Amino acid sequence: MEILVYGTINSVSLALMGLGFAMVYGISRVPNFAHGALYIICGFVTWTILQKLGLPYVVAIFLSLAVNGILGILMYRFILIRVRGMNISEIISSYAIGLAILEGLRYGGFRGMTYTLPVFMEGMVFIGGVPVDYHRIIMVIVGILLVGGLWLFTHYTRLGLALQGMAQDERAALMLGIDSDFMAMLAMGFGAVLAGVAATMILPLGNIVVESGYHVLIMSIAVCIVGGLGSWIGAFFAAFIIGFAQILTVVFIGSHFQMVVALLAIILTLILKPSGLFGQQKELEDRV
Amino acid sequence: MLEATDLMVFYENMLALNNISISCRDNQIVGVFGANSAGKSTLMYSLSGIMLDIRKKEKMAGGERITLTGQLTFQGKDIMDMKPSDRARAGIVLCPERRRLFKESSVMENLRIGGYLATKAQARESLDYVMTLFPALQKMTKRLAGFLSGGEQQMVAIGRALMAQPKILLLDEPLMGLSPLMQATLIRAVKKIQEQSDISIIVSEQYARPVFPIVDYAYILENGAAVMEGTREELMDNPDVKSAYFGMS
Repeated sequence: MEILVYGTINSVSLALMGLGFAMVYGISRVPNFAHGALYIICGFVTWTILQKLGLPYVVAIFLSLAVNGILGILMYRFILIRVRGMNISEIISSYAIGLAILEGLRYGGFRGMTYTLPVFMEGMVFIGGVPVDYHRIIMVIVGILLVGGLWLFTHYTRLGLALQGMAQDERAALMLGIDSDFMAMLAMGFGAVLAGVAATMILPLGNIVVESGYHVLIMSIAVCIVGGLGSWIGAFFAAFIIGFAQILTVVFIGSHFQMVVALLAIILTLILKPSGLFGQQKELEDRV
Repeated sequence: MLEATDLMVFYENMLALNNISISCRDNQIVGVFGANSAGKSTLMYSLSGIMLDIRKKEKMAGGERITLTGQLTFQGKDIMDMKPSDRARAGIVLCPERRRLFKESSVMENLRIGGYLATKAQARESLDYVMTLFPALQKMTKRLAGFLSGGEQQMVAIGRALMAQPKILLLDEPLMGLSPLMQATLIRAVKKIQEQSDISIIVSEQYARPVFPIVDYAYILENGAAVMEGTREELMDNPDVKSAYFGMS
């Protein structure tokens, strides 16, 4: 039961981390290596608004999500737009942006154990005899709502359908009047907001430290590779596989092997089925 | 309506389109015929602006240098440097070679993605129209586009292009690889589009025979140049055309 409950929680948090990365890659084919940095920056922005400006928590969250979205859009508009389509340059420039943000934050004094966000709701319940705090339950609910919402969005709205079309064949979408640069910019904004959502859900459970930016990046890449790059549904399922594998490892082997699971999953996937669970073979060549 | 003058396209130093001037008037069906590599697709890409996107991508990847020269006007406005998405918005919609459907989406989703530029009312109206034009699609709205037969896919592709509210529809080899029966069905549909709306159509095809009966005017391309042009009647009577494109002597 413990495994089931904590496996689910862990999986949902992995899915939250990976969704933004998967979405951006799926739509614009830009591997956003600044994803982890966007995640962390959202945490710090929320903290700053909450602690320095003294605004209510909810306002702080929505403000920082907006900041994140704008940041993503700016990043695309001024930097990535010039290198889109050139895989190596995309990786280098997005990783450079990520590094600059993360190390800039570290340099700016955002380090140590002093940065924490409050949980949404104190207290806990017992699910099948396992103690679970309310915040983690909220996280699971938000994660599942988010995936459901994304599914509805991409299948039933005009914008979502256009993004779906562009993800499959950018040029064909262009022939129908779907401006690919504009859509890629939107996708980047969405991805950044999703990174922010992940941050607001996960960060209150621990300290905000710069290092977790790298952790989030690795986890989202793992989730996306196992799920098949570009398929956010695949990423969601892969999050469950890796999430449960991690918890099983913690329970039966030892908690310091937890990180190895994700890396092992990447390697195994690349050996056994390079296109991932839901990816397509044709994407093999643009694998990172 | 759409007028290209002295259009030239180079891939590096290779001349893909050589001084082509073509025009399509309101509600006309114009045929563009020619063998493989005669420049049909290059022409279609140039008219729809996709060539600008190809040029941009090639330039970024350090690939072929593509040069475009000439004039292109649509409804009296110069569109030579207009982005492809803006051209689609203005009403030039390309239904590309090999259809390029969104294979992982259902037929209905393909059509609705096509309706990106349309208002809700327009989209509803166009959807009804597509369904009456191609009744066969009514039963397969939920199926994935990638699993349809070639003819069905082509119906979806034309339907998708119609959803984008075209003023001029560019059909690039719509009959490629289809059975004669399916070809006849599609050609009838194309004719119907012309009759029932004020859309102009440019259709390119390798074999003139199935398309010829519905065109008002046609161009024959060879090695990137328009070697012959004329109304259907003029070309029908031309002995060279007969032997080269109809297999008659």
